[in-house]
Amino acid sequence: MHNLFAYTFMQNAFIAILIISPMLGILGTMVVHKRMAYFSDALGHSALTGIAIGTLLGMTNASLAMVVFGILFALLLNRIKFRTKASVDTLISVCASVSLAVGLAVLSKGGSFAQYSSLLVGDVLSIKKTELPVLAAAAVCTLVYWGFALNSLTAISIHPTLAKSRRMHVNLIEDLFAVLIAVLVMLSIRWIGVLLINALLILPAASARNIAVNMRQYHLFTLLIALFSGILGLFVSYYTNVATGPVIVIYAGIIYFATYWRSKTG
Amino acid sequence: MNNLKYLITVFICLTVLSAAIIYLYANDNVTTLSKEDTLVVASFYPVYVAAENLVDGVDGITLKNLSEPQTGCLHDYVLTPEDMKLLSDADVFVINGGGIEAFLSEVAEAYPALTVVDAGINIEKASESDENGHAHDHEDEENAHYWMSIPLYEQQIEAMRDGLCAYFSTDKAVSQKDGSNRSPDDHTTNIATQITDNASAYLSALQDLQSRQADIAEKLAGQKVILFHEAYEYVAEDYGLEVAYLLDLDEERQVSAGEIADVMQAIEENGVSLILAEEQYGKELGDLVSEETGADVIYLDTIVRGGEADHPDAYLTRMQNNIDLLANYAAKNKP
Repeated sequence: MHNLFAYTFMQNAFIAILIISPMLGILGTMVVHKRMAYFSDALGHSALTGIAIGTLLGMTNASLAMVVFGILFALLLNRIKFRTKASVDTLISVCASVSLAVGLAVLSKGGSFAQYSSLLVGDVLSIKKTELPVLAAAAVCTLVYWGFALNSLTAISIHPTLAKSRRMHVNLIEDLFAVLIAVLVMLSIRWIGVLLINALLILPAASARNIAVNMRQYHLFTLLIALFSGILGLFVSYYTNVATGPVIVIYAGIIYFATYWRSKTG
Repeated sequence: MNNLKYLITVFICLTVLSAAIIYLYANDNVTTLSKEDTLVVASFYPVYVAAENLVDGVDGITLKNLSEPQTGCLHDYVLTPEDMKLLSDADVFVINGGGIEAFLSEVAEAYPALTVVDAGINIEKASESDENGHAHDHEDEENAHYWMSIPLYEQQIEAMRDGLCAYFSTDKAVSQKDGSNRSPDDHTTNIATQITDNASAYLSALQDLQSRQADIAEKLAGQKVILFHEAYEYVAEDYGLEVAYLLDLDEERQVSAGEIADVMQAIEENGVSLILAEEQYGKELGDLVSEETGADVIYLDTIVRGGEADHPDAYLTRMQNNIDLLANYAAKNKP
């Protein structure tokens, strides 16, 4: 059997997985806690719109276009959430569908959507060494934000009005959180794929929530599950010649059901 | 921390399960490569079948094809781990050229030492000098389906022959294999001679094919056609057909109602009675247009896909089929 680390593309993919999966997992703890799964899903789908608008504006760097649009879209969703009295999930759905439709309409012009279809499934092997530092920087930002804002975020998620009365910058903290999700999702989407990015965000935290008894365990389990399914998924996809994103998500899914069963019976 | 123990148990079970899956899968897919051989990898089928003819019967060369997509063209193809492994062991990578191998830059970056033989190199040069004066308006990539034209395919064979011979007559071929710095020995010179002989034989078979094509072309020249795939631009060129409308159908290509209307209009205005389409992606639209306008649709083989197990003459026979189809049409529609 081959030594899989003999190849540079596998080394890069491995390092990227080591960065991406725990980061998405960590953010996922709060996404799950705040019931924002749908929000991040909408964000993932808007990657296509980002690329479309980037193409229209003649931006050559698709990643940059995605990140910029992702941030704007996330902030817009947040504004809507704060202002509206209407049902949030309906509004997110409307925004997500419209933005997805705009993206598809632009990208499919001239029948050229096929060239973007790899974005739907993602390709973890295409990570280049030069892209790793960007990922690492995003990871550092996540950790710093987490160190400062975890308590506030938790407080806000439990009782926003009370948090406000304690002079917490509710809007700022929430906006930063949304921006952080947007940046990480957009950076990893080329490798995980539009269709599955949300699963990586949600599944580890959702599984951990099934069996964790306190916040510390919740975070620890999320990290473990995210790392484990990421690494194992990469190995298995390498040896079986299957796209990496789906394999990782299958493992995370199995772990979810195992923990769900435990929470029902244990 | 009972839950942690539970989680770790789950992890262990999954790991064991995965190990079993990998073991079973890996045992199913053992590829045997002789270390001594020079490994030549072709980028996709038309290149593979050409290379197959060139290295036919030559000792010391193993030829492999990339796993290649099962649908569509190569434009949006991403390399699988299997391909990357194959390329990391490869000595020579033979490509079609013309930008159809979109993954080429990725390969060059990962394996800078790999010798790349570009079969389209002379054709590219020619088309560039043709375009002199025009601002390069490559809106998309250029049409790289060179193999659909027999003369251009012959040029590809020549470029491939020259590239392979150049490889075997440099030090690289020898020193890469045994680590020494010997100059080319009898063995590699011998390989180059064999490849040249093979190329001559294949080229003469292609010349025959070309002359058969020329007979039919005489009868069809000047006719107006509609194409449902850009690969047929080269067919139209070979036969002297005049392209009234090109609709490049491909996988996942959504055709808008406006485009179909354009096709119908082009048929009417130009009095087109012949449409060239591809079976896999053009069938539905081809049948529809044919029914509506009475134009004949001929489904030509684009020879873009094939297996490693196919006969080395596959290009010749499949191209002959295309010629026969057009010959039938010519016979049926005698003026």
